[in-house]
Amino acid sequence: MTELRELARRLLSEGTVNAVLGWEEGPRGARPAFVTTPDGADRLIFDHRCVHNLASYLSPRRPHLKRLGKVAMVLKPCDARAVAGLIRETQVPRENVVLIGVRCGGVVTDPDSDATLSEATVADRCRGCPDREGKLADHTVGTAGPGFPGPSHRAQKIEELAAKPADQRWAFWQAELEKCVRCHACRQVCPMCFCDRCLADKTQPRWIESSPHARGNMAWHVARAMHLAGRCVDCGECERVCPQGIPLGLITRKIASVVAERYDFRPSDDPAVPAPVGTYRMDDPQEFIL
Amino acid sequence: MDSTTPATAGGFEPRITAFVCNWCTYTGADLAGTSRLQMASNVRIIRLPCTGRIDPMFITKAFERGADGIIVSGCHPADCHYNAGNYHARRRFAIFRELMDFLGVDPSRITFSWVSASEGAKWRDVVNDAVTRVRALGPFTAYRNMVVVQATAPKSSSPEHAGEGEGLPMQSLAADGVAPGASKEVTA
Amino acid sequence: MSTTTFIRTGDLKGLVADLRAAGVGVAGPARTSDGAVDYRSITAFDDVVLDAQPRNSLKQFFLPPTEPLFKYQRKGSDVAILEISATFPPRVIVGARPCDAAAVDVLDHVMNWDYKDEPWFGRREATTIVTFACPGGDRSCFCTAVGLGPDATRGSDLLLVPAGDGYYVEVVTEKGKRLVDAYPKRFGAGAGVDATLSYREKARASVEGHVPARPDVIRQWVQEHFEDPFWADISLRCHGCGGCAAACPTCHCFDIVDEPETLTEGTRRRNWDTCQTSVFTAHASGHNPRADQCGRCRQRVNHKFAIYPARFNDILCTGCGRCARTCPAGQDVTEILNRIVAMATGQGGAA
Ligand code: SF4
Ligand code: SF4
Ligand code: SF4
Ligand code: SF4
Ligand code: SF4
Repeated sequence: MTELRELARRLLSEGTVNAVLGWEEGPRGARPAFVTTPDGADRLIFDHRCVHNLASYLSPRRPHLKRLGKVAMVLKPCDARAVAGLIRETQVPRENVVLIGVRCGGVVTDPDSDATLSEATVADRCRGCPDREGKLADHTVGTAGPGFPGPSHRAQKIEELAAKPADQRWAFWQAELEKCVRCHACRQVCPMCFCDRCLADKTQPRWIESSPHARGNMAWHVARAMHLAGRCVDCGECERVCPQGIPLGLITRKIASVVAERYDFRPSDDPAVPAPVGTYRMDDPQEFIL
Repeated sequence: MDSTTPATAGGFEPRITAFVCNWCTYTGADLAGTSRLQMASNVRIIRLPCTGRIDPMFITKAFERGADGIIVSGCHPADCHYNAGNYHARRRFAIFRELMDFLGVDPSRITFSWVSASEGAKWRDVVNDAVTRVRALGPFTAYRNMVVVQATAPKSSSPEHAGEGEGLPMQSLAADGVAPGASKEVTA
Repeated sequence: MSTTTFIRTGDLKGLVADLRAAGVGVAGPARTSDGAVDYRSITAFDDVVLDAQPRNSLKQFFLPPTEPLFKYQRKGSDVAILEISATFPPRVIVGARPCDAAAVDVLDHVMNWDYKDEPWFGRREATTIVTFACPGGDRSCFCTAVGLGPDATRGSDLLLVPAGDGYYVEVVTEKGKRLVDAYPKRFGAGAGVDATLSYREKARASVEGHVPARPDVIRQWVQEHFEDPFWADISLRCHGCGGCAAACPTCHCFDIVDEPETLTEGTRRRNWDTCQTSVFTAHASGHNPRADQCGRCRQRVNHKFAIYPARFNDILCTGCGRCARTCPAGQDVTEILNRIVAMATGQGGAA
């Protein structure tokens, strides 16, 4: 933590950046911090409750952050995958942001959790996460925990669902998606949802009905899954913020596994690897096409 | 079953929406017509410039508005009028198919094919095949009846069932006069 | 109304069974499949979970997330409107929290302001709210700062406070009295008000002090500081996700949409909406008077603590703390209000 604070203080006092985005202790646990003075650097923390993917704040859809000027951002290895995605998709010029990587051994799911990090409390996305430190960062600080090998509970749940007859899967998702109130919090918080005007907000034509009924919700979740195919970095933010407790990670992870199997793509923190959707190979499998 | 045979009276005839590209499949379908090939008449064709222009939302919208099955068809690999539209579509629809399957939509309701301008006979086979398959699956009421609002419906529930859903979340709770198991929002 | 009575826990279970047998829908705080507690329909009093604040509020029972208003049919250049004659069957909510019951009463102002909202009041009249005095809140609760409290009766028809082998019952409204009168065998003599005092005090102590009870100070500061840099400062962390508004018992904005179902037919609906999103104020011209999240964060505080009080002499917040609990970015209304009070009373307040 001292290392992180000293680095942030130096970047701010030397004028390298105007603000450092990291985590701080808030009234309800860890939360995003926006440090603009060298003294403020002492607010910064990093521990297993720092679950937020701060890359969302780099998205161009946050015009209110522009006034901060040049920023440095503290990022976990998985957050780095999101920053790489934003760079890959030309949303963030790499030179516009200083990246401070923190070594990581996993996080819990709730930033307000009292729990210590353990096999029982670790976030599902951390099970099997291969990265203890990212490669994208300009600076890397802290010490890594051992990490958690797995297995992913979501992967098991996805397999269970896939093994069921289609009508049972339909019933499962109808019951889940029916809960959706279409607050679009899942979109707002997603680092990769950066469109200035979302398809879901467009009215002419209205491809996605805005009403939170089963039909509108189905269209929304199909669109969300498709637009994030090969782009989702499995940061888990969408599922964390959903006020209705919908297991969105089952959908995003399912699609990620399809993309991994068919196109050998896994989100990494290398912006130079091309995204799997929007590119193609002439010999892509097409067993489903007559 | 021979899908060109007219269905018996009262039998289910699927409505199928086909999204096809202008350059290959549309021309192929046209050729099937001018060649007077016999095929099922259940398909409504929507012509687009390229399979690359076919958004998955077209398919969900078609299901919403009553389609029982979908055909997406365009130029064979290496034949795309715009060079690569079909390659992009191939990835997109490979993923879309898996997504719909995961959400519980039988993927055999959606047929993908490459049909060139000269393949009138292949178009006939694709159509007949899709119609046969979807006819066997039955009408896709599960999708289009996700929401039913009736202005002049018979009273659909007794007060005993008012505002209840068996383990259902808030919308069901808040929708008055909905009997458990009935389509949502059928309001008397 | 200020009569009181008593109900034993066993009779409470019986009452829920009686109501259901009589065809009355019963809802209350109960576990969901994902392990949370939501207000939802229940089949027995045993389903009710009283020791956690429900994730949702009561508002969806009166203002559903989506609600069909009417159907329309186009015939040539004519449009026919087809009524959806909504029925509002009787319902009893058992186990409401005082902050959630009060919220419904707070919203009655705006629902009967320039127009009497028929579905809202249809459901209001059909619904009896049986509130349970709150055992006490967590650090985000501040009901006592907005004129309420863990045993506030506002918006409730009955208020139950644990006492002895059951609950001391305050009959708050005529509707509450009708419920008691309809099941006379379930109510009777028992512990008196004295037996409830320590419970009430303990609950109040757990909430008091989180935010100073200075609503007038807050209102005045907000009215006089529209351009203050404070708003830009607090907006930094906000994603504009609207989770706070969805969870809030008093946020009530809605959008009206026409949804075509066929070429000639469709449904007009109203759906929940929130001032936290950019499209809420976007004009067709492309201009947006609330250009960024700064104006949206200010709007939420302004509406609740200044605009609504100015119009209705009532605060559009019941101190439930849900917005702070749900916010993915750690935005905290208690912190915001504390900073405002500190700035207004000259005790600093910068972060
Ligand atoms: S996914 Fe990996 S980098 Fe991200 S929080 Fe978990 S362990 Fe850390
Ligand atoms: S966050 Fe949850 S409730 Fe909100 S739109 Fe997304 S899935 Fe629906
Ligand atoms: S879809 Fe969800 S898990 Fe994937 S990047 Fe977006 S917020 Fe993260
Ligand atoms: S503003 Fe926050 S504390 Fe106030 S009623 Fe709404 S959710 Fe509760
Ligand atoms: S829940 Fe938090 S991040 Fe979302 S709009 Fe409200 S204050 Fe902003």
